[in-house]
Amino acid sequence: MTTLTLVRPSAYHDSVALLALARALRADPGVSEVAALMATEANKALMAQSGLLTMEAGAAGPNDLVIVIQAEAAAQAESARATAETLLANRHARAQAAGRARPRTIESARRRLPGANVALISVPGAFAAAEALKALGLGLHVMLFSDNVVLDDEVRLKRFAVDRGLLVMGPDCGTAYLSGVPLGFANVVPRGRIGIVAASGTGLQQVATLLAARGEGISQAVGVGGRDMSEAVGGLMTLQALDALGADRATELIVVIGKPPAAAVRARVAARLRDIGKPAVVAMLGRDVIVREDGAITTVATLEDAALAAVARLTGQRWTPNAFALDAADVRRRILRARQELAPGQRGIRGLYAGGTLAHEAVLILEPLVGAVASDLRPGSDASHRVLDLGADEFTVGRAHPMLDPTSRIEAIERCAKEPDVAVLVLDVVLGRGAAADPAGDIAPAVEAARGEARAHGRALAVVVTVVGTPDDPQGLRGQIARLEAAGAWVLPSNAQAARAAACIAGGERVTNALLGAAE
Amino acid sequence: MDAISVLRMCPKVAERLYAAPPQAGRVHSVFERVLNLAWHDGRLLTLQGRGPMLAPFAVELPRLPCSHGLRPGVSVRRDGDTLTLDGAFIEWQGARIADSAMPAGGGGPGGALSVLLAGLHAEGAHGLSSTIGHRARSRLAGGLGRRDPEVFIEGARGLLGLGEGLTPAGDDCLVGALAVIHRLTRGWLLAHPEIEASVAAAAATMTTTIAREFVVHALAGRFAESLIDLLTAESADAVGGAATRVLQSGATSGADTLCGVRLALGALGVERA
Repeated sequence: MTTLTLVRPSAYHDSVALLALARALRADPGVSEVAALMATEANKALMAQSGLLTMEAGAAGPNDLVIVIQAEAAAQAESARATAETLLANRHARAQAAGRARPRTIESARRRLPGANVALISVPGAFAAAEALKALGLGLHVMLFSDNVVLDDEVRLKRFAVDRGLLVMGPDCGTAYLSGVPLGFANVVPRGRIGIVAASGTGLQQVATLLAARGEGISQAVGVGGRDMSEAVGGLMTLQALDALGADRATELIVVIGKPPAAAVRARVAARLRDIGKPAVVAMLGRDVIVREDGAITTVATLEDAALAAVARLTGQRWTPNAFALDAADVRRRILRARQELAPGQRGIRGLYAGGTLAHEAVLILEPLVGAVASDLRPGSDASHRVLDLGADEFTVGRAHPMLDPTSRIEAIERCAKEPDVAVLVLDVVLGRGAAADPAGDIAPAVEAARGEARAHGRALAVVVTVVGTPDDPQGLRGQIARLEAAGAWVLPSNAQAARAAACIAGGERVTNALLGAAE
Repeated sequence: MDAISVLRMCPKVAERLYAAPPQAGRVHSVFERVLNLAWHDGRLLTLQGRGPMLAPFAVELPRLPCSHGLRPGVSVRRDGDTLTLDGAFIEWQGARIADSAMPAGGGGPGGALSVLLAGLHAEGAHGLSSTIGHRARSRLAGGLGRRDPEVFIEGARGLLGLGEGLTPAGDDCLVGALAVIHRLTRGWLLAHPEIEASVAAAAATMTTTIAREFVVHALAGRFAESLIDLLTAESADAVGGAATRVLQSGATSGADTLCGVRLALGALGVERA
């Protein structure tokens, strides 16, 4: 075992950056432990407890950053040190580049780039409204990535924007595609003829990737924020975005994605869609959605159906909802095999999601099939099935979103593996720009370990997953699916199908027959 | 010329600005939304953009200076009511005063605060969850619960400089606890001046320069605006909004501060920690 130390005098990095650095170094071959801390006396004591207090670290002062790397061999420690140097240098270079090129205010940014017409704002929520207002004042559309913007501010901003014919995408808008430019978390999808208005980032990603899989592309995709269709906001941006898509020549069909809107907003959206006259597919993910076609408007119940109905509309084909896109006999065989491995009493489903809308959709699909589902999305609910949105604020305190940092999900998987009644885990893996470099690789070991833990206790644990991605995403769709399948997961083509598969495994023959028809 | 008029500043900051010599200090560190100045008195002074006062030693500006030459070590000069740094002029004539003192309130925090904190499952950062962190937190809570200054000081010293970050998690936790103490039982601190003296002296050498500044102000009862809002909130909405703003402080500082708030409320029997 060998130990190396880096000391950076008066180097200031925030805690998340240092945790990410330590995590990256621990992934280096042969590295057994890493400390990346300010060299205060208390932290030296922590390092001493871990056997990481080297002479250099001991001599450093409280304003010095120390990185201590413990590895099996000297060459491996040296290699990790080189990694650390590179990561710190990259951070420094980014900061330096920012110092040269990044302006400090929206006004000065606009002066440097006079042709810009969109401002992407990602600052803590308490400051976001003021920055958005400045951008709107300068005539810029706003993509408001920030969350925790209070409702009153959202209404004020959107009214201000409407008066000026501008868009406020958000708050908490994670994804948009504007004239081929992806913003935020975005999969690599082709440009095309379908325009999307979405009150949900991962919902938009699911639909866009399913469209891409069928050869269809996006003309424009506008996020409007999860509260836009509430009574308080009145659908201000949904209507504004619909008008924009109506006027956009590249857009031949419009998809609207969201949760059930306020009644008055629903009526306004429907009226506006009829006025625009382009074919439209509406997916408002709620309990009592009636799937139907009303003139040019098709109403569907799931994100997958939104994509399928849109493709059918554009290609003049007939579309009917299907429980599974795969061969029914194959699906039945896999479900039966998974069920046979379960021990008596194993009936629980656990959904551990990175995407909030995907979690919401899973609850809506599961409840009619297996009964009540407890969820952080609906505080107070209690049942033997549970679905968690691990990207919700309560799970991301002091850590990055699970689309970036798998820690919270890995911990949740470990907890679920210890629960004797749990039969199935349902997971989403979101690829694309902005997402983690290898999300499947991050969670696959936890999936393997969880299945091993269940086996060691005479149980089984089925894991069903959907991967939201395209072959052109930087992570590579095929490789990500292969990694999950190698870990024993069943990867399904959509979140809706993954949720249904989980329901069949946990719910037994009754549910399976309900979805696939009685076995011959 | 880049002229910026100060919007608000804390009373102690105003005193320090007026007391500064012509060579007032230098830039200590530069962040996206904050410029820290190493002041001539050996302490820090923070320039921030528009928004809630992030620290009791902050000056709120409508925007930060645009200069790209701002980097650690750059000289800061004072001439009358104006600071000059790298071509930017910051004028504080007419600035409003933002009170950073935690108001004492004997009635205890509203029920909404207790409910919110009881629902928080965040343990704080890894450093706080270490054996050393557990012990320090336990001593701090025990000392506060039994009103034992020695044990409290031992716990506070154990937290100084402990854990991840620019302001280590332990310091943030201590600041959160001190905020509760100043709100609910300031008399105890006033009756035991050795607490402030001992912990402030320890902070001078045991933690980072920035964390020390927060701790020293907290010992004297001065805090960031969001923390004051949290502990003086009277409705569930106000508590939720203030807690959100506290959580948005730094990378993990807000969560660690709430960890300290919860610890102190528990020790005082206001909320089961």
